[in-house]
Amino acid sequence: MITRILALAAAVVLLGSAPAGAFDGEKPLYEAAKKEKEITWYTAHYNSETAAAICQGFEKKYPGVKCNYVRTTAQVAYQRLAQDQKAGIAQASVISSTDQGHYTKMKQDGWLLPYKPKNLSELVDAFKPFNDPDDQFVATAAGLVLITYNTSVVAPSEAPKRWTDLTDPKWKNKVSIGHPGFSGYVGTWVVQMKKLYGWDYFKKLEQNKPRIGRSINDTVTMLNAKESLVAAGPSATTLESKAKGNPLAVVYPEDGAVLMVSASGIVKNAPAPNAAKLFMEYLLSREGNEVVVSQYQDPVNKHVKPMAGGKSIADVRTIRPSLTEIEKGIPEVKELFRETFGI
Amino acid sequence: MVTEAARPERHLDRSAIVWALFVIVLLVLVVNPLARLLWTSFQHPDTGGFTLENYAAAYGRWRYVEALLNSLVVGFAAALLCVVFGVPMAWAVSRTDMPAKGLVWAAVLGTFIMPNYLGAVAWILLAGPNAGWLNRAFTALTGATAGPFNVYSMPGLVLVIACYSFPYMFVFTRGALDLVSSEMEDAASTLGAGIARTTLRITLPLVLPAILGAFIVVFLEAIALFGTPALIALPARFQVMTTTLWQMFEFPPRLQVAAAYSMPLLLITVFLFWLQYRIIARKGYVALTGKGGERRPVQLGIWRWVALGYCLFVTSLSFFLPLLVVLQAAFANAWGRGFALDNVTLRNVRFVLFDQPSTRRATLNTFLYAGAASLIALALALAIAYIVARRLVPMGRVLTYVAMAPFVIPGIVLAIGFYAAYTTRPLVLYGTAWILILAFATRFLPIAYTNSDAAIRAINPELEDAARILGGSRLLSLRKVVGPLLKRGLAGAFILVFIPATRELSSAIFLYTTGTQVLSVLLFDKSDEGNFELLSAMGLILVVVTVALILVGFRLVGRDFLLRRTAT
Repeated sequence: MITRILALAAAVVLLGSAPAGAFDGEKPLYEAAKKEKEITWYTAHYNSETAAAICQGFEKKYPGVKCNYVRTTAQVAYQRLAQDQKAGIAQASVISSTDQGHYTKMKQDGWLLPYKPKNLSELVDAFKPFNDPDDQFVATAAGLVLITYNTSVVAPSEAPKRWTDLTDPKWKNKVSIGHPGFSGYVGTWVVQMKKLYGWDYFKKLEQNKPRIGRSINDTVTMLNAKESLVAAGPSATTLESKAKGNPLAVVYPEDGAVLMVSASGIVKNAPAPNAAKLFMEYLLSREGNEVVVSQYQDPVNKHVKPMAGGKSIADVRTIRPSLTEIEKGIPEVKELFRETFGI
Repeated sequence: MVTEAARPERHLDRSAIVWALFVIVLLVLVVNPLARLLWTSFQHPDTGGFTLENYAAAYGRWRYVEALLNSLVVGFAAALLCVVFGVPMAWAVSRTDMPAKGLVWAAVLGTFIMPNYLGAVAWILLAGPNAGWLNRAFTALTGATAGPFNVYSMPGLVLVIACYSFPYMFVFTRGALDLVSSEMEDAASTLGAGIARTTLRITLPLVLPAILGAFIVVFLEAIALFGTPALIALPARFQVMTTTLWQMFEFPPRLQVAAAYSMPLLLITVFLFWLQYRIIARKGYVALTGKGGERRPVQLGIWRWVALGYCLFVTSLSFFLPLLVVLQAAFANAWGRGFALDNVTLRNVRFVLFDQPSTRRATLNTFLYAGAASLIALALALAIAYIVARRLVPMGRVLTYVAMAPFVIPGIVLAIGFYAAYTTRPLVLYGTAWILILAFATRFLPIAYTNSDAAIRAINPELEDAARILGGSRLLSLRKVVGPLLKRGLAGAFILVFIPATRELSSAIFLYTTGTQVLSVLLFDKSDEGNFELLSAMGLILVVVTVALILVGFRLVGRDFLLRRTAT
């Protein structure tokens, strides 16, 4: 027992003296990565500016390893990787999808390389249950689905406080949502709402004739155009648009903000496996997450504070369906959604 | 006149090898991917064996069938609206003394260059039922509580699609009108017909082949569009074929069902062309008689201002108003704040141009690939149109269907065919620029073909016969007679293929790799990021660079392409 405490103390001292963000075995990994020269990242996490900033940050921290990103939607990212695998082409080294079903399938098809990042210890504890027990994918990005509104028309006191407020008739023709057939965020949100309030919630919402876009980000455009006044929207894109000066605000719903955790994995036939491991470490590292926060996204590293104007996920009441609920629930709610809303 | 087919000894002509070569290239480019697609539609997803299940899955649901019917309605209505927009404008620019023709032409060109999904977003802002600028202006002027415009509706979708497709109608019709000599109109006037009667009974019927060709192109493009319906039809609560197809690409993707779902469209295309053939076949439309034939503008008097007013009305809908929206957003810190001096910034444009590493590469790729694809498509289309028109090979008419087929398969599905065709032997092109170039060339071959076909039909074969009677070979008569007559039309046809190729999205999205990104893909990725400021900035760059390139093109060719200034 005493030796364990001593070891722990020693570890703490060591950690304290080591340069920020350094992890065990970083040097040899970096050397090996340099020989591979470059890495390609298929990503559906974040928007392209953030993806660009993360790549730039990575290149700055590890000179000599070039970072290419292909930023696209989750379905396209998966489809492209599937094409590559079928044609025997090795292009992507790291894949970041937002659709949980993709990971299950990729794991089943043996496309992923197991790797347990050293920086995993710094991951926000609440996200750890979403990691693969076999280390084939780990959580590297998080976001929230919140109530959002246009402040130039809606006063803060009038804004909806709970998800059920969106079904209030006073928002008839004024609500904007995304489509679960296009967006994993929306799919997770729909599964969670069904879990909380039953499908009745959407039957009531339908009476308000919501404006349905594709991506959850479409709600930002709808609010900015004042075409809709309130929405079930994303935290990051809304706060980014607000920071630019657009008249938007977010409400953390009393009945819970829907937490969205997305994973990344290393592709088994990665042309740059070492650089891929280094990149996974970077996605979890403090520096990497500081870049993420500078782009108004939510950090996954527990030591990094969220951006101004947003709350730390740890301080927010969050709700989230389990992995199995998402996997089983999304195909089911897509069908229900199409029946109820006709598209 | 004796046709070529009736003189078999001509087949020994040296040119026969050239024709055969072109036919082979056409078959490889078009039939190969389509055949693989057809095969896929009958393939069992797991076993790979033959099955009809995919067709049952694709048509066993009323929702899917309804989406297909919606697409047909949208396509037909949009094509009709394009006739209403494009034909009077083409006539006014080509045949009358209407003022400010240069401005009208520039606006049509601008419309054509603007990617339709960018235009669609702008229209959401203009005609959104709750806060659209047009609706707000209407309520401010009339005191009504709500405006009359609703972009989220079937008419809204038709209008937006027609706005970005009518340039085809304009350019096709105008090209044909430019060739009609005034003598025919004079004959009518001499017999006592007025301007309206002459135009409706003589001039327009002469260009019917061009109008029908454009009608088909618009119809096919309208039903294959993805971006605009995704932005407008979904919020309006109806599905069209392409948005339904997208569902089939959801996880897990059902390529086989998607292939089956798009197959019947091939039949519709064949039917349309058969119809066009029946309408045109029995009449002679040979109007171009070489350099003779004078063309004088019709004097419209006071009506020329009405004509200009109509042209400006249409181009305001399609170009000026949406451009205003895009400009405001591209240079705004926050476009939701509207117009304000402190809201103006160069940040968006700067980010797109300098901070985003992929933009410059993608810009270069876009124009390089579009240029190469246009050249390939045009050369092939001309050769095939000539072969068909002069009946140089047996069963030539079938080649028409082959050349037009790529247009009707939605780009997203066609991409799967290309992918299947070019990742396996003998032609492994995936990962190279060639897969994109060939995909674009194949995809826009129908536009090149329709244009070439109309141009060649208008040339009287007797002109070539004259050269050949004097001892020239067919290749010589092509070089010395047909070539010079086609030159002007070709420059126009090049632009017609080049511009859509610069904005082509649906086939590019599955075929590009890290080094071969194009602008449309970057734009599309922006469209679901909720960042309209950057989306507009990139759209603006695409428009500005394309315009600049076309202006340089004007200089290099030493002519004003489609804008022929009639002597005043």
